Amino acid sequence: MAVIDVVNLSKAFGPKVVLSNVNLQVEEGESLVVLGGSGTGKTVLLRNIMGLLTPDSGYVAVEGKIIAQLSRDELFTVRQSIGMCFQMAALFDSMTVFENVAFGLRRHHKMTEAEIRARVEECLTMVGMKETEKLKPAELSGGMKRRVGFARAIALKPKILLFDEPTTGLDPVMTDVIGRIILDLKHELGITSITITHDLKSAFEIADRIALLFRGECLACEAPEVFKVNPNPVIQQFLRGDADGPFLLDPPPPKRIPKEAHA
Amino acid sequence: MVLAVFDKVGAGVLKATDTFGDFAVLAGRAFAAVFKRPFDGKNLLNQFQSVGVNSIPVVVLTSLAVSMVFAVQLAFGFKQFQAEGLASQVEGLAVMRELAPVITGLMLAGRIGSAMAAELGTMQVTEQIDALECLATDPIHYLFVPRLLASMVVVPLLTVVSVYIGFWGGYLILVGVEGQSAYVYGNEFYKLLAFKDLRIAIYKALVFGTIIALVGCWKGYRTQGGAEGVGNAPTSSVVTSSLWILISDFFLTKLLLV
Repeated sequence: MAVIDVVNLSKAFGPKVVLSNVNLQVEEGESLVVLGGSGTGKTVLLRNIMGLLTPDSGYVAVEGKIIAQLSRDELFTVRQSIGMCFQMAALFDSMTVFENVAFGLRRHHKMTEAEIRARVEECLTMVGMKETEKLKPAELSGGMKRRVGFARAIALKPKILLFDEPTTGLDPVMTDVIGRIILDLKHELGITSITITHDLKSAFEIADRIALLFRGECLACEAPEVFKVNPNPVIQQFLRGDADGPFLLDPPPPKRIPKEAHA
Repeated sequence: MVLAVFDKVGAGVLKATDTFGDFAVLAGRAFAAVFKRPFDGKNLLNQFQSVGVNSIPVVVLTSLAVSMVFAVQLAFGFKQFQAEGLASQVEGLAVMRELAPVITGLMLAGRIGSAMAAELGTMQVTEQIDALECLATDPIHYLFVPRLLASMVVVPLLTVVSVYIGFWGGYLILVGVEGQSAYVYGNEFYKLLAFKDLRIAIYKALVFGTIIALVGCWKGYRTQGGAEGVGNAPTSSVVTSSLWILISDFFLTKLLLV
């Protein structure tokens, strides 16, 4: 049985259909990377998995439990087994890094202060942020915030991790650092994960399978080496990063040819 | 033409019902969450600090100013009828029954209601409330309940402070400026009052505190649209809660004086 089962999931906001009959299954310990252009419903997919949004039709099941049918208390129990890493980290800005990472532990576990401290230190070490415990989120850079967000997500030892564009807006070096941390978490913790990213380099490093969302539909969901040679023109255009092709609804402005080329 | 008018009126009624229903549901969830575990004492104490202790200067200054202005008006008015002695009695009645609870309520709607709306609004647009949900924490329990409890306790306490300050505001004008006897003022201030009046003032303050916290949290929780939304939430919170404070004051006065 798949750990995460997305079945015929559809979601629209007013007249705008964001997801249309999306089907995805993620097996235990598997790392699925979801690619897609901006506004194709990748974040909406994650929010449906977390139960932050309710599907218009279809359903999401986590470990066999259909998320939309759970009571609030049952949903909170399921959420304790899922760690969510937000695009902009979503750290609690009134708390320090330590308090952010310790938040879930204090709410859901009867741990002593020493045990909480040890677990927070362990999580921060995993993401390379050991010396930042006393800092406030406002004192951190974008990449540091994401890493603290990772530490907060793994603190409760979840079985599933969801990463919402963890590298967007970061420089290439920090993007690589984040990619390595995700890989480390995958290997050290053996967690099932879904990562949404635009960064193809880290996508191919992290993924056991890659899916591409295009205009609300899932075009492909396959192993990276198969995905790379998929003949679908949309997939090939996305992999090339070229503006010309079927990917965009509105045609892009024509490519300017450098003057030297005319001469 | 007629159909368009009906259409507009209908849409307005539906929207108003929807808004009120949303508020009622969230308020109900907040009251139900009061008894839920875990109890977050530290969070509650922080709210007592920001809602209560930090509001004392504002309440003291406004109560002093309003009671002094009111005393000036009373002294001037009763002088027309050579009935200056009544000024302290009416001052006591007005401060206890109306000025203290309403001024405290309105000032705190501006100070803490807007702060709640701004804080929760910022948390909403920066996905911090979603993060709470993802950390298996009910935002209503974590955010609404401490603010609601703090507000329900603090507004009545500050109303009592306001009554006390109101006494001295009247004293400054009627004794200090108008030359009435301090002994007479001290007796006359309480002459028309009974314990029931203090109870009415505290009941009113309890209702106002509830309105301030629920409206502030509700407006913040429902914030949409980034910086503009966060900017609108406190304004909307202050206007709505001030309006409800004044409306509920009328009904509470009618109800409780019977």
